[in-house]
Amino acid sequence: MVNEVAGGFNEEFVKGMAAIGAGLAVGIAGVGAGLGESGIGAAAVGAVAEDRGFIGLGLLFTVIPETIVIFGLVISFILMFAF
Amino acid sequence: MIKPEKMGKISIIGPRDYLPLVSEVLYEINAVHIGSPAEEEYFKVGIPLEKASETSRSLVLLRSYLAHLKIDSEKVIPTRKFRVDEVEREIQSKMDEFQREIGEKIEKQRKLTETVKSLDEELRLIEPLKALGIPPRLLKDYKNIRCFVGLFTADPSEKIRDVTSDFEAIMKGYKKELVGAVFVRREFEEEVFGILQDYGFREISVPDIEDYDSRVREIENEKASIEDERKRIESEIEEVKTREMEFMLAMEEYLSIELDKSELPLKALVSKYAFFIVGFVPEKRYGEVKSEIESKTQGKVAVERIEDIEEEPPTLLNNPPIIRNFEGVSTMFAVPKQWEVDPTAIMAIAFPIFFGMMLGDIGYGLLITILALALKKAFKTEGMQQLLSVALYSGIISIIFGIIYGECFGPFVRGVEVNHQHVVEHLPHFLWPVLNAIGIHEVHPIFDRIEAVNVVLLLVLTLLLGASKITFGFAIGFYNVLKHHGLKDAILEKGTWIIGMIMLTSVILGFIYNQANGVKPPIPIPIAEGWQAGVNEFYIVALPLALIGFIMFIAAEVPKMGVVGLVLGVEILTWLGQIMSYARLLAIGLSSVYIAFVMNFIGIGLLGSKGGIFLVIGAIVLIFGHTVNLILGILDPGLQSLRLHYVEFFPKFLEGGGKLFEPFGRKRRFIEG
Repeated sequence: MVNEVAGGFNEEFVKGMAAIGAGLAVGIAGVGAGLGESGIGAAAVGAVAEDRGFIGLGLLFTVIPETIVIFGLVISFILMFAF
Repeated sequence: MIKPEKMGKISIIGPRDYLPLVSEVLYEINAVHIGSPAEEEYFKVGIPLEKASETSRSLVLLRSYLAHLKIDSEKVIPTRKFRVDEVEREIQSKMDEFQREIGEKIEKQRKLTETVKSLDEELRLIEPLKALGIPPRLLKDYKNIRCFVGLFTADPSEKIRDVTSDFEAIMKGYKKELVGAVFVRREFEEEVFGILQDYGFREISVPDIEDYDSRVREIENEKASIEDERKRIESEIEEVKTREMEFMLAMEEYLSIELDKSELPLKALVSKYAFFIVGFVPEKRYGEVKSEIESKTQGKVAVERIEDIEEEPPTLLNNPPIIRNFEGVSTMFAVPKQWEVDPTAIMAIAFPIFFGMMLGDIGYGLLITILALALKKAFKTEGMQQLLSVALYSGIISIIFGIIYGECFGPFVRGVEVNHQHVVEHLPHFLWPVLNAIGIHEVHPIFDRIEAVNVVLLLVLTLLLGASKITFGFAIGFYNVLKHHGLKDAILEKGTWIIGMIMLTSVILGFIYNQANGVKPPIPIPIAEGWQAGVNEFYIVALPLALIGFIMFIAAEVPKMGVVGLVLGVEILTWLGQIMSYARLLAIGLSSVYIAFVMNFIGIGLLGSKGGIFLVIGAIVLIFGHTVNLILGILDPGLQSLRLHYVEFFPKFLEGGGKLFEPFGRKRRFIEG
């Protein structure tokens, strides 16, 4: 499959595009995770203001969407090392 | 360790007169979790024993003193334990003494505070008048002249002139406003008052004093003497605090115990002549509880085992000391039910390892270890001790991984003579001669995680770790369901996913295998030509597993949900996502390595370059950068490691919703027994 896609292009070009793709995968996934975390973070801060004991759990909830970045990162690794 | 303590349900039945005695005995044994029975026609929830109201009154008073003195029993480490009879003997006289020495003084202080407040109020009135500069006796109303004294937003003279020209208005600026006195004839009083209101007039009532300055001095003196008085009382209370603190806490404990005991009837059912208590007791202490109660009551009260599966027994986690420290973090997610596997032990092993894998730095690990040890000395509460122990173990494991990765405040130990490819030829420079002197000419980390090849290797490792941990989770789930619902449910509910996980793992391995060998395409999907080239052993294993898993899934879901249930099969993709989620073990670590690397690069670069001011800046960069990175390095790996348990692991087997075993009784800290 890769050979076909890369068919008409030289190797340097494919490498470059893969690197850009890898960057985008992490970057845009990061934006997504940030958007997800903003809502949770705001709510968590509100909850902590009510009850300081919530801080641990609040932090934990806040990092849950971070998985999305990890996905992006895995994809970027695959892109970087596969091409 | 793996499962919570086995619980038995018991009933305690006896004549009502024996309830106080049973309460004493149960409290001493401290092994029975009292259940909450439902009322019946003849058996109603009892009323507290007689002494309860008196006890709780004293307790409330005592606790209010403790609160005022800011004594937190959790934070006090007892130096001695008081005897019960000693506390009993002195409690009345001590309560009177505290009333005298603390209660009354608190009251006195409150009054003094009020006085200061009213004095301040007076000062606040005098201040603008002083700015106006007219003696107070001249500001009083006259026989035919009305005198308005107060604050204005603007000078009203112009407007007043419209009414009468026969007036006097003296205005002075005061804090962005005007303070002033307006004198008019009585007959214009109301009209002028109307005008003044338009100018934001707020009247100041002039105090009956001779002279502002002397009054202000008087007030200041009075305040100073009150302050002295307050300080004196404060130190007296402080003195009582240091003298009586432990005894107060002993009294508090004693009264709490007495109150607990006298409130047992609230958890019992009583009829006119009998009482009835149900409770849970750890299986191995049943004999002790039975013989103790029956012998102390000369056989008048009977303890019997009852078979009842309706009420879930409470959970008493049963872990050895080191693992017990993790109970706080594992039960924060959910308390396992009594028949479930307790994940604390697994978490005690996996949490520090995950943490260490992510942080993996000798320097940071050492700092965390030292910090945890120091804080353990300072915070003695049980919760803090547990948490800090978790930090301590995590720190130690981080050091071990730091040695494996060859990192100390960033990538550190690198080829000294040869092959210092990455970094930090800066940092080890001064160490080279030392290392050479002790015969080390070449230093390599055991596993260099920032080398490109190793990054990929670590990625593969973390994914496999994730896959096996999740599969392990399903295996525990299998066991739980097997114990509680039987084999068929276990196979359908968890077995399907175990097979699904093995299938996924094979696919991942197949993909990795193809990638490693440069086989294209990496995944053999029969849509493009030449897909056969991608087939390898792992995919061949995965195919039948996928079929078997799918058939089992149909068998499990279709009877419950109908054909729509098949849609739920996409859940397998969730597991794929969760396996990938374990890649954070690599990712978080790398980010922290690179932050440290950048700080070293800048900081050490500055230190080594020009000297002078650059030395200072370099040192600041290093200290600040590593401090920030350390904070991130504690917070992020900690949270992510927790999350890998809570989100990816526990839900595979843990139903949760148990309640912790709370026996009737308590550990005594300040009194003997």
